[in-house]
Amino acid sequence: MSETGASEDLEDLYETAPCGYVSISPHAVIVKANRTLADWLDWPPEELVGKSIHDILGFGGRIAFETHLAPLLRMQGHVHEIALDLVRSGGEKIPTIANAAEKRDSDGRHLFTRLTLFKAVDRRTYERSLLEARVKAEAEAKAQREAALLREQFIAVLGHDLRNPLGAIAAGIRLLGTREQLSETGAAILAQMNNSVERASSLIDDVLDLARGRLGGGFIVSRTAAEPLAPVLEHVLAEVRAIAPAREIEGHIDIDGPICCDPGRIGQLASNLLANAVTHGAADRPIRFEAATFGDQFVLSVSNAGKPIPEGLRSRLFQPFFRGDAQPSRPGLGLGLFIASEIAKAHQGTLDVSSTDEETRFTFIMPRESPD
Amino acid sequence: MAPSPEFVLRRNNVNVAGSGERAMMFAHGFGCDQHMWAQVAREFELDFRVVLFDYVGHGQSDLGAYSAERYSTLGGYADDVVEIGRTLGLRDAVFVGHSVSAMIGALASLKAPEMFSDLVMVGPSPRYIDDVGYRGGFSREQIDELIEFLADNHLGWSAAMAPAIMGNPDRPELSERLENSFCSTDPEIARDFARVTFLSDNRDDLGAVAARTLVLQCSNDIIAPVEVGEYVHARLPNSQYRLLGATGHCPNLSAPDEVTEAIRGFV
Repeated sequence: MSETGASEDLEDLYETAPCGYVSISPHAVIVKANRTLADWLDWPPEELVGKSIHDILGFGGRIAFETHLAPLLRMQGHVHEIALDLVRSGGEKIPTIANAAEKRDSDGRHLFTRLTLFKAVDRRTYERSLLEARVKAEAEAKAQREAALLREQFIAVLGHDLRNPLGAIAAGIRLLGTREQLSETGAAILAQMNNSVERASSLIDDVLDLARGRLGGGFIVSRTAAEPLAPVLEHVLAEVRAIAPAREIEGHIDIDGPICCDPGRIGQLASNLLANAVTHGAADRPIRFEAATFGDQFVLSVSNAGKPIPEGLRSRLFQPFFRGDAQPSRPGLGLGLFIASEIAKAHQGTLDVSSTDEETRFTFIMPRESPD
Repeated sequence: MAPSPEFVLRRNNVNVAGSGERAMMFAHGFGCDQHMWAQVAREFELDFRVVLFDYVGHGQSDLGAYSAERYSTLGGYADDVVEIGRTLGLRDAVFVGHSVSAMIGALASLKAPEMFSDLVMVGPSPRYIDDVGYRGGFSREQIDELIEFLADNHLGWSAAMAPAIMGNPDRPELSERLENSFCSTDPEIARDFARVTFLSDNRDDLGAVAARTLVLQCSNDIIAPVEVGEYVHARLPNSQYRLLGATGHCPNLSAPDEVTEAIRGFV
């Protein structure tokens, strides 16, 4: 038989096409349906005609037909790829995908609506499993976010609660140092204990700052122009010199007039930058500290000599818990630079680093006046 | 604090046209957007300031403004209507609400009595689920089936949510996705809205509505049957009732002339 030997029978194509055809009137009454659809639905074809389209749709499909399909058809004349569940005469559902188009006359009057239906059992199963997977993934992501939040809250509460016993130990140390007669060894041990308590306190402060920043409260700064900044910075310099007596620290403070800032926080920033220079700078070269006003800006910088910071690490310096090449003998959390940069941000300022063979320099710049 | 006018107008994709002393605000129902009112609204532009908008999650509204909490009751949607009305300075305006918007309009008129002097309710239902001594037309199981059905249409409806890709001639496959570009609804919001709509019960609010109200009831509407329309009319203190020849749930689309004429006769 030649390929053109059999001609297609359009009547038969309509009736036994591998998809369902149904035409409905503007009042949603079935006016014609093909045999394929009648077989799917288990109705004699002649009994389908005259029924409402609602009679062969599941309940959800009926509502969607009225609230979604009918309006869309009126507005754009066609609707494609809509999931519809048909209902067989025995009540079982058949998932289908439907396309629909309105047939209008030359005046645009709506004559009837044609629907073409494809069985979609496997496709629907697949779509449902995709949806389930997505719901599950979203639930897991949410649970992880909540767990992370809980961890940070836990850290904040723990840090806060550790302050009290630590305060009691510090008070005890002070009392022993001033009121009790101690041997030379005892006094030395007490001094070491005092250092450890101070170190523990500052670790707790850092962790609390981190937790506050992460928990959405941000860094709390209260800016004022009334309190002079220079004495605070002098005090920080003196403290660092006391902690690292072997290091040479050159300080230049040249502030003319008020700066609207949180002096305690700027002192903390300066202290963190200096501590960083003491830890990482070359031990036999001086650290330079400069704080000065230039026009409407306040600039604070700390520089040290030593091995330059590799280019690739610079952007990570200000992330929390970044510890670079810190030796295990110098325990720290890697929060100092992170906290300094948060303080800078809270003052609408910037904290940047430059690092060459000659020097590594951290520079903080902020506007003297608060914009608000 | 009242939200900024720009925020409200963008959030609800508010469009104002026409001129006139009074304003007429049209609100779409579940499953659609402001396009469903286009034909009817156009007819009033000579005599009214015509206001069209989309509820958040529908049409071209700002999806980012959606909050499952705010929109967990029809009252949340009514708050948006009131905010739009305040932004536009509406007083003694006409509110025309289709389907669930009929009740949203009633709630808005209770929250801001000066805003709407007249309400037109097209296919209203104060409660869809049957209750003791009340026939809403639905059982709880049917509503659950509907919500499940909307989940199944997740992919179908979400494909329509892509207004930004319009007019992209070198990628014709993208415009194919705009097939159902009217009435696009975020699928998850559609499910939430279905739940809020079909589980609502505003029967007790009807008695407090002071605005003049016109109830437009369709023949053969499976969503809001005739007896529900009659119930609404009986409970409202100051209402007129009109049974339309139009069938189905969307007479504003299937019989816009009849709806226009009925509203004109009322106002």
